[in-house]
Amino acid sequence: MAQKKVDVLIIGSGHTGGMAAKILTEKGISCTMLDAGPMLNFERYRELKPAHELPFRGEVAPGRLPHVYQASDFNANFWVDEKTVPYSYPQGQQYNWVRVRSIGGRSPVWGRQSFRLSDYEFKSRDHDGFGENWPINLKELAPYYSRVEEIFRVTGHTDGLPQYPDGNFIEDNSPWSGAMQRFVDAGKKLGVPVTKPRSSLGKDGLASSINLLLPDAVATGKLTTIPNAIVRQITVDKNTGLADGVVFVDRHSHREMTMKARVVVVAAGTMETTRLLLASEICNSSGALGRYLTDQIYGAGIICSVPEARDGKGAPGLMGGGALIPRFRNLETKSNGFLRGYAVNVSCSNGPFDARALPYYGKELEAKLQSYNGSHFSTNIMGETLGHYENQVTLNKQLLDAWGMPTLNINTKYTSNETNMAKDYIDTMAAMAEAAGFDILVKNYEFNPPGYSIHEQGTARMSDDPKKGVVNRWSQSHDMKNLFITDASVFVSAGWQNPTITMCSLAMRASEYLAEEMRKGNV
Amino acid sequence: MKRRDFVKGFAVATATASTALGQQQPASNAAEHNGAGAHPSPQPPPRTARAEQMARFHTPSIPLSQPDAVAMTEARYFTPVRYATLVHLCEIMMPAGDEYPSAMKAGTPEFIDFFIGASPADKQTMYNDGLDRLNADTLKQFKVPFAKADEKQADAVIRPHLKGWMNDHPPREGQERFINLAHRDIREFTMNSPAWAAAAEASGERTPGVGLYWYPIEPGIQTWVDHHGAARTASAAKHKQA
Repeated sequence: MAQKKVDVLIIGSGHTGGMAAKILTEKGISCTMLDAGPMLNFERYRELKPAHELPFRGEVAPGRLPHVYQASDFNANFWVDEKTVPYSYPQGQQYNWVRVRSIGGRSPVWGRQSFRLSDYEFKSRDHDGFGENWPINLKELAPYYSRVEEIFRVTGHTDGLPQYPDGNFIEDNSPWSGAMQRFVDAGKKLGVPVTKPRSSLGKDGLASSINLLLPDAVATGKLTTIPNAIVRQITVDKNTGLADGVVFVDRHSHREMTMKARVVVVAAGTMETTRLLLASEICNSSGALGRYLTDQIYGAGIICSVPEARDGKGAPGLMGGGALIPRFRNLETKSNGFLRGYAVNVSCSNGPFDARALPYYGKELEAKLQSYNGSHFSTNIMGETLGHYENQVTLNKQLLDAWGMPTLNINTKYTSNETNMAKDYIDTMAAMAEAAGFDILVKNYEFNPPGYSIHEQGTARMSDDPKKGVVNRWSQSHDMKNLFITDASVFVSAGWQNPTITMCSLAMRASEYLAEEMRKGNV
Repeated sequence: MKRRDFVKGFAVATATASTALGQQQPASNAAEHNGAGAHPSPQPPPRTARAEQMARFHTPSIPLSQPDAVAMTEARYFTPVRYATLVHLCEIMMPAGDEYPSAMKAGTPEFIDFFIGASPADKQTMYNDGLDRLNADTLKQFKVPFAKADEKQADAVIRPHLKGWMNDHPPREGQERFINLAHRDIREFTMNSPAWAAAAEASGERTPGVGLYWYPIEPGIQTWVDHHGAARTASAAKHKQA
């Protein structure tokens, strides 16, 4: 078959590849989308099963997916096999790279917390002197946030806090439960705002690329989707110096194929995007490609019991509900020991109590579990980490994946900034829980290794200065005007926020800019 | 190969395969196909018709059982002393409830022996060292091995190491880590056992531990190619012949 040149080639079909496909096809531009994985078929590949029918009684198979703490016997087949697509890190610097390869990428398992970044993030260098500012600000991105929030059906409460920008919400005016109200009141005394969570309702409980974005692109008749296409290289026209297509390998047969394109949009996910650019030896005139990797710390927290809810005595409305504490440190004053800030997920449950929090066994434990049932209260941190220059991913040509592609060496580590932040967080939450009258059972200062949050960002950051960043304010490569990056690799700093809504807003903005540039003949 | 030649070659190969497969079909099927061929209306070729018939075939319902209902797991990883220690730890930590089976009845010691035997070395070391320490502590304090310790003696060597902890962050210190993780394993493997599920069913409770299971998605990540290497490309073969 004669090879045709496609208008726009999109690499990756997750939230940002899906957004690019939706926006571009709706503007009449033909797109071809490649994804390294297969199409999901929920009816064929999923089934409700009891743990006792699974091979390892609910536990992930011994030694399988050691870096995916989220893995279990139920979902082990969903994650990328670390032996098939390996990666490495320096000894003592564990990195948990959590990956999915299928149409839709990681979007079907997104936790759906939906936040805007504030100018405390966009202009972070102005605020505390660390790192770089983003080349854009909240005002520029706000119209796109609003449209993305409408697509994802974000629910939340309008709070009027500058560090927690309000959005285009399905307003949540539900009352607090009794226990949550006590925690809210305890926060007020300490100057800690406790707000309603913000999350995407999506459709039928799913807010993914495959049900919210790709169907719109498909409806235009202008999207061609190719599964199982593992892109090995972005090719370059020697005459123009522009990207002119890709080389990809069929996942099953390993057959290598080439494809020509007028424009390339890379949306493979933060570090897969960077791996591809490094392997293609492009887009790195700044020297910033692969650098400034960052994410968020998760895992530290407290577990409490609400005494009035024990022994089945909880009054109706006492328990239940969640809350979000947005960043409150280093806004108007400076905290000792750390830059930036953290947010907190708060959970209040009238369900079963977590046995691990209770230091008992046997019949004594069963009696405690019965007594504590319905009294669970816990918090979990989402803390911004700092994107140091030294936090870098590089190609490891000695270690190839199953398709012969060089793998990544991920060199990053947390510092005292994260440790001090976690200590401040636990001490503050414990003080609030005590003030609210809760019994604190567990105080865990330890946080998970880098990568656990699945919020990796940076390594191809944006900047107006071609010497400091890989892409410009429109997510367009400084080196190749016909190459755009739409995933979180373009982030300049992490913030405490789940990045998905910002990723989608940036992808929408970049795609509309690209469409206009194509119309003008500039790309 | 020109496209026309390719199509021609493909048609020949398909016909040959159909013939070969057709020879394996029972005479009654052949008669059906021959009969169908008597009608003037276009009919799919025999092999296609057979494939379509098979595609319509629904899976018969055959009740299945778990192997645990009829067989035992043979413990073979831990040494006899360590295994005896583990068995008693299971008895102590998870005795039978009013309606639910004990860890022993659920086959948990055997399952842990299997699971730890297949685990990475660091987890094996944690279990081996932890079981040894339990035994050493009871021998030192009560002059009996842990496997023979009564409830009070066992409690004296277990309770000091029990800590409350949260997901992914068990205690770090050696024996504390072992006691709390072994406790977690004993509870999980007992409550997710076929015996526990049967007890729930017998008492009219909902089936416990139900979750959304993902089957392997379009298997191919571990393909024949991964094990045997990619096929040679046509151009390379031609080059070699030349």
